[in-house]
Parts: sequence; C-alpha cells; structure tokens
Amino acid sequence: MKVSIFSTCLVDLMFPNVGKAMVEVLERLGCEIDFPASQVCCGQPTYNSGYLEDSKLAMKNMMLAFEHSDYVVGPSGSCIAMFHEYPAVFKGDPQWELKAISLKNKSFELTQFIVHVLGITDVGAHLEGIATYHRSCHMTRLLGEKETPFRLLEQVDGLRLEPLKNSDNCCGFGGTFSVKMPEISAQMVDEKCACVAETGADILISADMGCLMNIGGRLSRNGQSIRVMHIAEVLNCVPAAQGGRSL
Amino acid sequence: MSLQTDNRKFSERTAEGIDNPFMRSAVSSAQDSLKTRRLSAATALGEWEEWRKAGQQIRQHTLKHLDYYLEELARNIDRRGGKIYFARTKEEASAYIGRIVEQKNAKRIVKSKSMVTEEIELNHVLLEMGCEVTETDLGEYILQVDDWEAPSHIVAPALHKDRKQIRRVFAERLGYQGDETPENLARFAREVLRQKFLEADIGITGCNFAVANLGAINLVTNEGNGDLTAAIPKTHIAVMGMERIVPSLEEMEVLDNLLCRSAVGQKLTSYITVMGPSAPGEADGPEDFHLVVVDNGRSDILGSEFNDALQCIRCGACLNVCPVYRHIGGHSYGSIYPGPIGAVITPLLGGYDDYKELPYASSLCAACTDVCPVKIPLHEQLILHRQKIVEQGRTGTADRLQMKTAARVLSSPSLFGKVLRLANPGSRMISSRGRIVRGPAIVRGWTSARDLPQPVRQKDSFRSWMENRKGGSGN
Amino acid sequence: MSMQQPIHANNNKEAFLDHIAAKLGRERVHQVERPKLALPGRKDTPATEELVDILKEQCFFIHTQVIESSPEILQQTLNDLLEANGGGPVLTSADPRFAEYGLEFSGRLLWEAAAGRDENIRRAAAAGTAVVFADYALAESGTIVVESRPDQGRAFHFLTGHYIAVIERSRIVPRSTQAAADLNRRVMAGEPMGSCINLISGPSNSADIEMQLVVGVHGPLRATYVLI
Repeated sequence: MKVSIFSTCLVDLMFPNVGKAMVEVLERLGCEIDFPASQVCCGQPTYNSGYLEDSKLAMKNMMLAFEHSDYVVGPSGSCIAMFHEYPAVFKGDPQWELKAISLKNKSFELTQFIVHVLGITDVGAHLEGIATYHRSCHMTRLLGEKETPFRLLEQVDGLRLEPLKNSDNCCGFGGTFSVKMPEISAQMVDEKCACVAETGADILISADMGCLMNIGGRLSRNGQSIRVMHIAEVLNCVPAAQGGRSL
Repeated sequence: MSLQTDNRKFSERTAEGIDNPFMRSAVSSAQDSLKTRRLSAATALGEWEEWRKAGQQIRQHTLKHLDYYLEELARNIDRRGGKIYFARTKEEASAYIGRIVEQKNAKRIVKSKSMVTEEIELNHVLLEMGCEVTETDLGEYILQVDDWEAPSHIVAPALHKDRKQIRRVFAERLGYQGDETPENLARFAREVLRQKFLEADIGITGCNFAVANLGAINLVTNEGNGDLTAAIPKTHIAVMGMERIVPSLEEMEVLDNLLCRSAVGQKLTSYITVMGPSAPGEADGPEDFHLVVVDNGRSDILGSEFNDALQCIRCGACLNVCPVYRHIGGHSYGSIYPGPIGAVITPLLGGYDDYKELPYASSLCAACTDVCPVKIPLHEQLILHRQKIVEQGRTGTADRLQMKTAARVLSSPSLFGKVLRLANPGSRMISSRGRIVRGPAIVRGWTSARDLPQPVRQKDSFRSWMENRKGGSGN
Repeated sequence: MSMQQPIHANNNKEAFLDHIAAKLGRERVHQVERPKLALPGRKDTPATEELVDILKEQCFFIHTQVIESSPEILQQTLNDLLEANGGGPVLTSADPRFAEYGLEFSGRLLWEAAAGRDENIRRAAAAGTAVVFADYALAESGTIVVESRPDQGRAFHFLTGHYIAVIERSRIVPRSTQAAADLNRRVMAGEPMGSCINLISGPSNSADIEMQLVVGVHGPLRATYVLI
C-alpha cells in the first residue's frame, strides 16, 4: 500500500522523531512510504485566525502536493481534520472543490489509518509503564475519531493505561489561542497538568503534537517529570531485532 | 441591565475572573455536575443524535418561515383576546411596556427570569417610572438584592456567588437572621416573594417558545415563579425574542425535552406551562395579556451567515462544557449572554466595537458545537466572526502582518525551508537546556507559562531525514 | 399621553413581518406546510403495569411520593396523607370526579368561578394541600398534565405547601410525545381549551444557590401522586 506522509509543519520543524517513528511504524506494517516535499502546512493557524483568503494559499499548496497520492497519513488529528474542512472552504470553486474532496477522502490520522484502513490493532509494540492518554479536541470532535488510539494502546505490551479525569476538556492549546489569550490558556493547561499528575502516570500520550507541546511545556516549566510521547513513538517501541527503536 | 454588563477592557475583565478563586471553583464544580447530569439525561432519552437533528430541523424550518408563523401567532393571540406588539428596537419594546404600566397605573411588578427583558433594559425603564420591580427567580432575586448585579450564566444567573455571600446580602438588605443553608435561604426568599406575587399589579415573563397555532406562550421553570407571575396579577406581559416560536405543541414538546435535558439534566423541569390570555369564566390568569415580540438586531442575523445562531434555545449547555468559561466565568464576557453562544451572538447584537475580543475567547475545541441540542456550529461561527473582523480591518497592523507573513511561509516550501534554516540559531540565544523559556515577542505569551521546545537544526528536520533516506522520494 | 388613545392602535405587525420577509430574501408567505416530525423512540405502547413501574421509578428522582390506591380506598388514602402531612385545609375543585369517587373533606376550601379572582387566590393561599385529578400522566418524566378551567384556576397548583395529584391508571401515557399529540389534535380540531396547560413534574425546586438542590421554592414543597 502506498502512503504519502503528511508530516505537519510542527513535526517537521520541532519534533522530527515523531515523523520518523510514524514512518518506521508504517513501513513495518507493510506500507510503501513517500514524502511529497512541496508540502508545508494545512493552513489551520491562519484559517482559525480568520484570514480565510490567505489560508487558501496553504490549502491549495497541500492539495497539489498530495494530488497524486493514494493515501495521505499524518500524525495529527487536528491537521487531518483541517484537510477534512477543505471541501467546505472551496465549495462552489470549480477549480479546487473536487481536489478538496479528493484530499479529504484519502486523508487519515495515523491511528485511524492503522486501525480502519490497515485493519491492525496490535503493532507488536512493547513499552513498560503507566500511561494516560490525552484526547485532542480536534481529533475527537472535528475528525470524530474517539477510539482508535485506545484500541492500539490497549495492545501495547507492558503498558497500563490510567483514565484521565475531565479528558474532554481542552488543554488550552488551540493554536494561536495560546498565544493570543495566554492567560486563559495557562489556566487551562494548568488544570490539565493537575489531572495528568492525579493519574499517577509516568507517561503522557497523545496523537497531536500541538497539545503535547502545550502540556509538555507546562509540565517542564512546573518541573513535573512526566515523559511526553506521541502515540507514533509508543507504537514504534519494538525490539531492535524487528527494525524498531527501543526507547 | 443592558446587553453590556461591563465596559472595561476584555483583558481587565478576564484578569479579574481568573483572579477570583471562589467563582472559579463554583463554576468548575457546577460544570462537572451539569455535564454529568446532561449526559445521563441525554442517554436516558436514547438516540440523542436523532433528537438533536429533529430539534435542528424544527428550528431551521421555523426560522425559514418566521414571518408566516409570527402572523399565525398574532392571529391566534388576537382570537383569544390577547394583544401582540412587534418591537423593532429595544426602545420600542420597553416604551410599549411602559405605556401599559402607565395606563394600568401599576406600581408593583413581579418578573420571572427573562434574558430578553435584560436586553431591552426593561427594569431600568420601570424603575425610572417609579415602579417596584421584583425579580422572582431565586437566582435573579439574589442578584437584585445585591444591587442588581449582572448574571453570569443564562440558566443559573447567580452561579458565581456562594452561600456565605448570599446570606450576608440577605442579612444586610432584608434583615435575614437565619443560617447559610440553601434551604433556609430559599425558604426565606419564598416568604418575601409570596407576598410580592399576591400584591402585584402586573406580571412580566419571558417566553421559551410561542406556540403559533395555539396563540400561547410556553414557560419552562423549576421554581414555579413563572406560573405565579402569569396567574395572580390581572395583567401579564410576556416578552419574546422574535425567533422563539414553534408551529405547534408537538414541536414544542421536542424542544422542551432537548432544553430541559441540556440545561439541567432533567427529563422535564418541574413546571412546563403553556399559557395565554385568561379564557371566559376562568377566575384567575390575566384579564389583559400582552405579547411583545422583540427584534432588536435579530433580523440582521436572519438570512445572514450567522442565521444558525438564531436556532439557540438558551439552554446554556455550551457554557457548561466550555473550558474558557470554566476559567474566566460569565462576567468576563461583559454581556448578559456569556459563554460560546454569548461570544457568537453578543457581537451580532452589540457590534464589534465593544465585543470584537469575544470570538477569540475560544480555543475552538468544539465542545460547544458537540453539545448544542439544536446543532448550532458554534465554533465555526466563531471562526466566521474572526473572518469578518479581518475583512473589516479590525485586527491591527501587527496581527495582520504576522498572519500575512505566516500565510506566505506556510504555503511555500522554499520560504518554509528558509525558516527552518533560521529558526534554530535564532532560538538558541534565548534557550535554557534546549528549551525556550523566554521567547521573542510573538510567543512571549506562550513562554510566560510554558517552555517551548527549540526548533531543530535544518539538517535534523524531518524533511531532511526523509530526503536523505533511501526510499524517501520527493516530487 | 391621553388615556383615551388605545395603546394598541398600531402593533407594527405588517412592517415588522415585511421586514423579516425581506431579510429572508423573499415575499411574505401565507401558506406553509408543517413538516411531519420523524421522532426516534419506541413505537409500541407499553402495558399499563410497565408504565406504572416507569412512573414510580422516575418519581423517586423528582422527590415525589407515589402511593398505589384504588377507587374503593381513595378517600382513606387521601385522609391518611392529609393527616400525616397536616398543615391546614384542603383545596379542591368542582371536578366531577370528586363526586364520582365520593370524596369529601371536612373544612375544605373550594376553587369556584363564582368566587372571583381575589377570593379564589385567597382560598388557595390559605389551604395547606391541593388535591387534583390529572388529565394525563407521563410515565417517563413523572409528569401530570392539568388544564385550567373555570372551576380550577392557574394559581390552584402553586400556592399550597403540599400538592396531591390523583392519577387514574388509564390516563398514564408513555411520555410527553403522546400528550402533546393529543393536545395538538384538540387545537387543530378547534375544541375549546383552557387558557393554561400545566405539565407538572413533582414539587417546585431550585439549584440557584451553589447548585445545591432545594426542594420547595415558590410552589409546593411536597408532591404526592396517588394511583387508582
């Protein structure tokens, strides 16, 4: 199966290990990977700020970048959810509407792709520890994907999952929100960190690096020593003999 | 009270909210309990999504034919001997009510909770006329006794106050001598307000839904104050936002079920009443019944891109799940309509001059959209507001410049590559142990509370790794 | 202003509705088909005994006492309730079912059209307990439906401390859907109706102080349903 990687600009610029883990997991599961190099960003930061026309530049760039892909898979429920908005943004645009629909139909968040398209829940990962999982709002509500991360994590050998209280409350990231309304955002992330601490987990997992950068940034500022991992990194914890990296 | 409850800057109001630990603990525990109650009431109904769709369809159908249903309502109110008045502005609405008060020579007025009467500044007008006005909803009464403090929630207006504060206000203003248990405080208010009901000349209520084919209004309460307001005084004036109408009792039943479950997690509240002018031979109920239909900016929303906001049935569920409301409280919004729905409709009713920050007071987490019983796409409407604010050039030069630049960089692989080359060395100057602890101006808000990881060197970026690795292909 | 001038001379209706139509981008419409509601939920009608069970369970949650009685012992059941709850005279109406079931209460106060507004309200406020017969009962929500009539006004239901509704089992329907449909059928048929229809689910209550439930605010402090 041919899969085009949509790294997301955040992973590209800040968290390359997440992208590498995703590639390695997908390859291990038999996918043939490519990386259309003209991709940049889904356009969400400017779109959510109200700069609709300007955002269309980024969106068009992405539609062209992935025009010839069979599947587009990214490590972010939020960015994939933005792809899924494209048809609404370009509704009635003769040049772009069909491209938007096509991109939407072939785009999947990583865990969604593994569970629903590849039909796999056990990727052979092993990770010792107690973890809690933060649901990203965009993945849960906009993309409508609630279960696939849990179905995969339940199969990770050695990992115990503790439920997170108020898991449906936003962590306060919200892209530009955290920069525009930092005081409010800080209160939100503080409460999230307290809930994470309450679980007693030593690993915090999520499927969106935006949230993890936010929560992780606050945990680090508070001196809370909880390891922060993207779910791709967790799924990539396989014995080296099988071509994975053991963490 | 008017739409605007506080004219200080948004940032000052939120700073005050964040700094109020009692309010925040009251709001978060209220949210936690209301969320659970709503969910169990929605689950108990079964097929909640189908009910939401039915609710949305009813609201959309009615809005689409609003003139027809209002006309039918007017005809039926008239047939039953009531009077209906159509007010384009808040001034017209409150002046009309003022004329009734004058003609009746009314001195004592009881009111049951109504947000639209706040919007038209009715209490102000009535007090100026020398009337004694009593809000009879317990929460509203508490606020009235405390110098007409502004409500902070559309269903539970005194949510931000604790029992100690309420006991103190009752003691100072009303001579209350009991303790601070909610039961005793409520019992005391019952005695005071019972007398007000019995002496009132006019009762004024809001209207959850007008029922077009019946010529009646529907009130949904738990306390029973709305019913007493419409039963005892000889004159009943009901005030409704023009969009709050249903074709018949069948649609009302669907919306009442959605409303009660979403607002307070009850299957139905204690009192759901459909009422109009008193019928011949009946001893109580209003001899004179007036229904005032208020536009006050709503018609500008009708048929616009914000049309869906008019579907709102004022359940407050979006406030109860909003993580921003949770931390800043209702007063921070500076409007009688706080929370996500407030952030959508307040700028529409009150304009961007006073309210352009509100659409940004959201992380766009969409919890509001998810919970709305009539499926208003609230977070999308907030984005739409932001688009309008940008279109009207109200975002300021710095923001515009940043966003325009970002849009260019994020759509161009070559520009993005330049940023990759510059980001790491640029950020090294301000980092500590590989984490940015005090960022440049653009991210200073972020780094005031959080560390920011350092961008990687260009050669370590994901795309470089992909391009260098065997099997990675570019295009 | 002159008292002679009717305040209602011009209610702005036409201009207001024209404006709405214009905002909707069309001419005024005078004929609209009300869409048929496609509501989810069970389509079968549960047996009365099942409805009674659902009603009883719900009443637990709405702080309402349910007593199973029968026409033969109804008087005794009501007497026991009144004695147990104390608190002043009984308020009743001229509902023919009081006579039908042979109910009598010593020192009762009667809501009657002839007494007029002030006197009826005075009686209701002076009574300790109101007794009514439900027009329908809604099992799911623990609701009784009553309609205003010349012999049973609006304030009847709201001024006593204790409120007793007698529910004939045959009048229990699954939920509000059925009551709304039947009421709307009457509206469409142009049948005469009271000016006020009350759906009452238990005693009055409020959670306005610290979200803590207080049972009994403006209306009755206690509610009891008697099933016959």
